[in-house]
Amino acid sequence: MSQLEIKALHVNLAEREIVKGITLTVKPGEVHAIMGPNGTGKSTLAKAIAGHPDYTITSGEVLLDGRSLLEMEPDERARAGLFLAFQYPNEVPGVTIANFLRAAMQARLAEGEELDATGYYKQLYAKMDSLKIDHKFTSRSVNTGFSGGEKKRCEILQMAMLAPKFALMDETDSGLDIDALRIVSDGVNTLRSSTLGILLITHYQRLLNYIVPDFVHVMYDGRIVRSGDKDLALELEAKGYSWVKKEIVHA
Amino acid sequence: MSSLSDTELIPTPPPSENSANSVAGIDQALGDFSYDVKYALDAGTGLTEKTVDYISAVKKEAPWLREFRMNALKAFFAKPLPTHWATRDLENINFDKIRYYLASGQKPKRTWDEVPEDIKRTFERLGVPEQERKYLAGVEAQFDSEAAYSNIREVVSKQGVIFLNSTAALREHPDIFRKWFGKVIPTGDNKFSALNSAVFSGGSFIYVPPGVKVSHPLQAYFRINAENFGQFERTLIICDEGSEVTYMEGCTAPKFSTSTLHSAVVELVALKGAKIQYITVQNWAPNVYNLVTKRGLALEEAVIKWIDCNIGSHLTMKYPGAVLKGRKARGEVLSIALANDGQHQDTGAKMVHAADETTSNIIAKSISVGQGRSTYRGLVHIPRHLRGCRSNTECDALLINTNSRTDTYPAITVRGDLNSVQHEASVSKVSEEMIFYMQSRGLTEGQAMSLAVNGFVNDLVRQFPMEYSVELKRLIDLEMEGSVG
Amino acid sequence: MSSLPASNSPSTGSFTQDVFVRSLASLSHLPGWWLDLKNKAWNEYQALPMPRRTDELWRNASIQNLRLDGFVLPERAGPLLLPGSSPAFKAAAGLAFANNRLQATTPLPPDLKRKGVIFETIEHAAVEHGELLRRHFLAQPVKLGSEKFTALHTALMTAGALLYVPPGVELAEPIVITHVVEGPGAAIFPHTLVIAGENAKVTVAEFFLSADPAAGNFSSGVNDLHAEPGSQLTYLSAQNWGRGSLSFQTNSTVVQRDARVLSLNVHLGGRQSRHESHSRLQGPGAHSEMLALTVAQDAQEFDQRTLQSHLAPHTSSNLLYKNALLDTAKTIFSGLIIVDPDAQKTDAYQSNRNLLLSSEAEANSLPGLEIQANDVRCTHGATSGHIDDEQMFYLEARGIPRQTAKELLVFGFLEEVLEKLENEELHSALREMIKNKFKR
Repeated sequence: MSQLEIKALHVNLAEREIVKGITLTVKPGEVHAIMGPNGTGKSTLAKAIAGHPDYTITSGEVLLDGRSLLEMEPDERARAGLFLAFQYPNEVPGVTIANFLRAAMQARLAEGEELDATGYYKQLYAKMDSLKIDHKFTSRSVNTGFSGGEKKRCEILQMAMLAPKFALMDETDSGLDIDALRIVSDGVNTLRSSTLGILLITHYQRLLNYIVPDFVHVMYDGRIVRSGDKDLALELEAKGYSWVKKEIVHA
Repeated sequence: MSSLSDTELIPTPPPSENSANSVAGIDQALGDFSYDVKYALDAGTGLTEKTVDYISAVKKEAPWLREFRMNALKAFFAKPLPTHWATRDLENINFDKIRYYLASGQKPKRTWDEVPEDIKRTFERLGVPEQERKYLAGVEAQFDSEAAYSNIREVVSKQGVIFLNSTAALREHPDIFRKWFGKVIPTGDNKFSALNSAVFSGGSFIYVPPGVKVSHPLQAYFRINAENFGQFERTLIICDEGSEVTYMEGCTAPKFSTSTLHSAVVELVALKGAKIQYITVQNWAPNVYNLVTKRGLALEEAVIKWIDCNIGSHLTMKYPGAVLKGRKARGEVLSIALANDGQHQDTGAKMVHAADETTSNIIAKSISVGQGRSTYRGLVHIPRHLRGCRSNTECDALLINTNSRTDTYPAITVRGDLNSVQHEASVSKVSEEMIFYMQSRGLTEGQAMSLAVNGFVNDLVRQFPMEYSVELKRLIDLEMEGSVG
Repeated sequence: MSSLPASNSPSTGSFTQDVFVRSLASLSHLPGWWLDLKNKAWNEYQALPMPRRTDELWRNASIQNLRLDGFVLPERAGPLLLPGSSPAFKAAAGLAFANNRLQATTPLPPDLKRKGVIFETIEHAAVEHGELLRRHFLAQPVKLGSEKFTALHTALMTAGALLYVPPGVELAEPIVITHVVEGPGAAIFPHTLVIAGENAKVTVAEFFLSADPAAGNFSSGVNDLHAEPGSQLTYLSAQNWGRGSLSFQTNSTVVQRDARVLSLNVHLGGRQSRHESHSRLQGPGAHSEMLALTVAQDAQEFDQRTLQSHLAPHTSSNLLYKNALLDTAKTIFSGLIIVDPDAQKTDAYQSNRNLLLSSEAEANSLPGLEIQANDVRCTHGATSGHIDDEQMFYLEARGIPRQTAKELLVFGFLEEVLEKLENEELHSALREMIKNKFKR
């Protein structure tokens, strides 16, 4: 059965342990939100699962449909169905969005198979229409000179085109004003389906007003300290992160 | 119009001692051509007055031209190699072992089976047509495309454009061409311009009458004119007042040379308000020394634009330039260089401002792969008493592997407080974060690297005509293969 | 000493065998290794050719004006030699030389002496601290074109200073060294060697002056800076030679692991002045800040050649050379960044800014890069321009006279470099020297 399983995962960055044993399973159709104060290892978790070379997994396991991701290169993980929406998407000067996505789609085809250009553009424009993105966008270099909102919309467009099984969305709301937040959230909601699992990482509750999660996990100092449904997010918003800290101390 | 061939006369060739091309330190197998000795049209190897006499006689040249060649030969012998600033690799050229003239009846012979596998593979990957592959590989003597050539010539000749090879042009239109021949680049400009002036053959001479705007780019590669790919071609383009022309030279497919030395001279003259755009794609085989002098003269409000792309050769030294002699003249150089293992791309630009309000712009991008070395040399000169001159240079180098190398050596002289010059250069590598980002979208590291490199040169490649830019991108992909992982 | 032999060869000029022999004879009290060094240097000087037109290291320079005729090793200078432009500020200690001889001393305070700080004349050091001197004296030679003049320096040098700051010792106030030259055609050879021990911190300021602002003197100086791991060394030099002078100054800076060197050279005087500076970044974390300011007037020529050698990974350097040019003055900046194959993660910057203030001034820029490692950030920039008309108008619109406005804007241009000096007093001393130049 299709699912993303994170088992007792420990992650180091530059010899320092950041993620200290996380276990979590995301099933298709589910939206899990991970919340927590800055520096608790939320982004580290996302990047480590996607295979960023700076992070070392010291123990634990990540399985996608029962296959271990950890031995795979980042691109193999992506082709296996994983998608990381970056907190700070990189600029790729000189490479247009159209060409970039085309290369990414081509990479998913079997050797010798050519991407049908007409079909590709048809699909691209359709996705752009559904996400209310101007067609002119395709001829701009990936993320180069984009505003914060444009970068995030570009991420959502890529997600729509590459149709992953599981999406890790790293601080998707950062750098967005309220209008941009609404547009990006609408995009994510459009993509929600019974076949897509989403792990949503956020510092603020406000994103969860727009993307309503099925599960909420609170992360603190490299661990998940509480799990619950969407009401947990509201409780957290009301009481603040200091409440979590106190809970930890008492525990 | 005269025939492209200029082999009617058959004089006695000077004695030839050695018919093999040989350059120390370079893979000899690549240049391993054999010659059919029964052809009498052979200038032999080595360079003496006799060689020059022979070439001049074959071409039935006027006495002034023969004298021009002889003076050039003296200058060539007198000048030292420029190793006080250039690479000492030049010392590996053995001038005595080089064949300075091959008449068109006499071409190297070898069979398709003898062509190295990697070259065949490259042809395949680039989708070079079968017939052209054989020509490029040196298997076939000539690629017959006279039809295509006459077609273009017919179209432009209706507009009064003269488009001939050097021999025919100097014979048939000395009134037009002699005035500027050797004036933009004097014989003694450098050792290799002197060499070319002594033994030149082939190339294109073009005259565009006042006000004529040639709509199609004129091309001078094998599809049109076999001799244009000669070792010592000579090109002179004169654009009369208010006229415009684009000229393209070379092609992206790797070219097998019959010699390890290629030394061309290209002179451009843009009269008042004229505009010349000269596009080069150089992909010589990796055993070739490519030492080329290119310069344009721009009169009032004229524009000289060089688009120069160097991918092949063992060593290329080439600094296209412009002398901005009329008010508001403009010079531009856009340059792309890709240096792979065993290659040194020593390229750049020269801009001499010689009138008020002249402007120049240089954008140079280089990529060094493996142990490749790319060098940028630039010269910007604004002498005193000028006003309102502006010059801008940007050069960016991308290093792919840990042992790749790049150098930048600009030289800028500005006099007076009424002009301004800017130069900026940077060296970087493809950032790991960018590669990770692309990998996280499912591209392999190699694909991500190729995409990043294409992105790096994209704004320049876009300025090439469509067919070139597509081929260029494919070529860069090919060159990048195996550079990571 | 005043009349010159007629048989001067063009390559030795006034500095004949006879001059050398007499100079050496006066040094018989010094150790043998020191005298051997001088003999060797003299032979080198004679053997080396004068710079030639085809020398890349002398590109754009007026080599025809490099004649070595008409100079003398001067007699002892007069008793009162304190030019008006001499800086006044608090110093930890000082040595003042005139005409190749020690003239005045401000000794080190006792606490610094106790901590092991050594600040001596170079000749004294040759006797007292032979080992230390031997280890560092011209140990990392500069090869940027002036080797002949450096050899001459070594052969004839008698005045100089050695400063050694032991590990962990920090000096709050600067060490000041002054070299003055007096008399027509007088030639001097200043030498400074600074060694900052591990984690030491010191500032050294050097001033080079002609007694007569119009004099035609000769100087060939050397300053070698050595920063041991973790140390912080600030070096400042300002030259205001007489307007007819010919001068050479070579600097070698060695920066070890995590050490930081800032050097600022101010060039004001002389007819033709050449400065060569070579920073070697030898250990991870080493940083070199190379700064220079030049105000070129009349027909002055300032020729500056630099080299930033990155020899270890994770090293950084930042060069900023600014030239303001008036009248028919000429400047040359030729700089090179070399990154060794092993020096990954190098971060190097090089920038030359020329402000042209007259229609006849000439600025030459030759910024270069030679990069053999790929994981680096190296950039250079060169600009040559004029005062921005809009800025000028803005100042004039506020009622500032044109000349004042121009000076203000030129100072603004130079200030970017000056403000990198943390020492307020040094900063204002330099600003004063530059102002004086404009007043002329």
